Amino acid sequence: MTTTLAPARTAPPAPPPAGRPFRRIGERLAPYAYIAPFFVIFAVFGLFPLLFTFYVALFDWNPIGDHTFIGMDNFTRMLEDPRFWNAAGNTVSIWFLSTVPQLALALLLAHVLNHARLRFALFFRMSVLVPYITSVAATTIVFAQLFDRDYGLLNWLLGLVGVEAVDFTQSTWGSHVLIATMVLWRWFGYTTLLYLASLQAIPRDVFEAAAIDGASGWKQFRHITIPSLRPVIIFTVVTSTIGGLQIFTEPLLLSRSAPLTCGPIRQCQTLTLFLYEQGFGQFQFGYGSAIGVALFVLVVVVALINYLLSTRIRAER
Amino acid sequence: MKLRTAVPVALAAALVLATGCSPGSGGDAVSAGDGKSFEFWSFTGINQKASVDDYKAKHPDIEVKLTEVGSSVETAQSLTTALAGGKVPDLVLIQGDDLPKFVQQSQNFVDLRTLGADGIKGDYLDWVMSQSTAAGGEILGIPTDVGGMAVAYRTDLFAAAGLPTDREAVGALWPTWDEFIETGKKYKAATGKAFVDNAATSVFHQSVNQGPQKYYDDKGGVVYGSSPQVKTAFDQALKAVDAGITAKQSSFSNGWSAGMAQGQFAAIAAPSWMLNQIRSNAPDTKGKWDIAVIPGESGNWGGSYLAIPKRAKNAKAAWDYIKETQSPQGQLEHFVDSGSLPTTPSVYEDPALAGHKDPFFSDAPTGKIYTASLLGLKPFVIGPDSSTIGQEFLNAITNVEQGGGDPAKAWDEALKNIKTAIGK
Repeated sequence: MTTTLAPARTAPPAPPPAGRPFRRIGERLAPYAYIAPFFVIFAVFGLFPLLFTFYVALFDWNPIGDHTFIGMDNFTRMLEDPRFWNAAGNTVSIWFLSTVPQLALALLLAHVLNHARLRFALFFRMSVLVPYITSVAATTIVFAQLFDRDYGLLNWLLGLVGVEAVDFTQSTWGSHVLIATMVLWRWFGYTTLLYLASLQAIPRDVFEAAAIDGASGWKQFRHITIPSLRPVIIFTVVTSTIGGLQIFTEPLLLSRSAPLTCGPIRQCQTLTLFLYEQGFGQFQFGYGSAIGVALFVLVVVVALINYLLSTRIRAER
Repeated sequence: MKLRTAVPVALAAALVLATGCSPGSGGDAVSAGDGKSFEFWSFTGINQKASVDDYKAKHPDIEVKLTEVGSSVETAQSLTTALAGGKVPDLVLIQGDDLPKFVQQSQNFVDLRTLGADGIKGDYLDWVMSQSTAAGGEILGIPTDVGGMAVAYRTDLFAAAGLPTDREAVGALWPTWDEFIETGKKYKAATGKAFVDNAATSVFHQSVNQGPQKYYDDKGGVVYGSSPQVKTAFDQALKAVDAGITAKQSSFSNGWSAGMAQGQFAAIAAPSWMLNQIRSNAPDTKGKWDIAVIPGESGNWGGSYLAIPKRAKNAKAAWDYIKETQSPQGQLEHFVDSGSLPTTPSVYEDPALAGHKDPFFSDAPTGKIYTASLLGLKPFVIGPDSSTIGQEFLNAITNVEQGGGDPAKAWDEALKNIKTAIGK
């Protein structure tokens, strides 16, 4: 085959057109020009703000007043600030409550949606994505109404079976569950589709062979679905962790009496909301930036763990 | 995942935009411009467009570029960004709660005395003026309106509980906050229902404003922990919680709006702008409300100011606008159009204001009731951390009321949280 179709190896390539250096330089530079828009925009809106945040974090910085260099004072203050540790704890708690059920649910759902005998599969596969395209603000407002203490649908249902009304926004665990539910509702469809995509890469004969060998649905799930999804599960754990560390809109819109703290005792104030409160509520941009740096470090640590895990998985294969 | 990272990136970008350049650049001289046009930032829901249209009709040669930036908070944030390094408007409307942060950084604004504010400052209530006057005496804003304060109550629910319904008689029930709470107990005993929406805004927030000293003393020192007015107001709020007369509905929450429509509570501390909230939240209760005097007789919640940023290009045109539309007569006309309460006591006796009646509230003479609540207030010093301190006190009360916090520890907790927040 190669002998007939491939051109003779010995034929010399056409000589480069001599005396036209501009065109050659242009050809070399063109690819860079094509990718430049991304990097320029990234530099302006991504890299520069990032570096500038590190700079501002070293100052006592009032946006419309004085900027005083104070070195690491913002960081030492942050480490001693109970509000920072409270926000960090809330962030981790809400992340855990939203991520674990979300991934489990998505896994199950993906398995079901991948089933060969499922009717209207496309309809179901598309409809799980509807929450994802709904505005976060709209989601939050509707959920806050559903979970309202006196007039919410959920407490009305609880009341029908004789359970006393639960005030979700005022207690720590209640507000965390409420926010986690919103996050879960919004993201599980997206995660489901990721799982579904990689499930469909598994040849259907593997499942059929297992079924012929007498493996039940659960056994197929346990021994085929989960192992073959391992890389994408790791990926979704990491991405939802990074997302979970940055939950902002839901807690901001939850409490009307104290929006910037998500309630009177900061019961659901996340790190990003604490950053926002300090920066834009208190005009302490330096302190806000220091919190931003702490958040950055956290995300980098998570990304590192991701890298280590995924290289190990690749090595195992 | 892109969307998730977008929020902090946007925050960081906003942070940078707001810190990009140094403030107050440019000389001290006020830029006059051509005097024929200016840019005006206002917020939504306060109908500045009506005033602007009036002004344009009277001055066809002047061009006013009005932008409704967003809510009052969003407008203040945009102003912050603009002051820190962007293009500033020539005239901006600032809500009273957002004002102290700007007054503390007075170098960002034109001292209106240089344009002649000394000549008109006597037209306005002194305690309102004092809030837009910087430590050095610079006048940074002219007040456009105030909230005033009263109690809106449901006559049908009061009658069902055996309480008087006539607004004079109802006002006589509660000359003091203690008597207000006693009335609440009677209502609760008769009906088993809550009397007032919540303790934080309807009791503490009103009572704490009724003294000559709040969180700062006359020299600007913080005295929130030792100021008698603050402790008294705090204890009164806790007493209302303890008596069980509050519906535990935080102002402006979903439950609060629903509770208002359903008669979950019978009384609410209502500044003049609150009347519109009641109207829109509970349209079916038309005619079932009336308005009585607030315990302690005086109070205010809300109000806005017009200010001119230092770097404004058309300060002169903006000042001409302020002078004309915020004159006592101008504010009176705005009251007739939109119900905003004037800050100029000279028009309080005017029949257009004093004779104004509101049919939704059983024909209560709103103009008369609200302006009367403004005359008894005394100026007190508002400092850079006043709003933070106030928020922590409100949070402590809400936590006892709705979060099951221990009332015995609430005061100390509040003081501790304030110290963490402001460092003193």
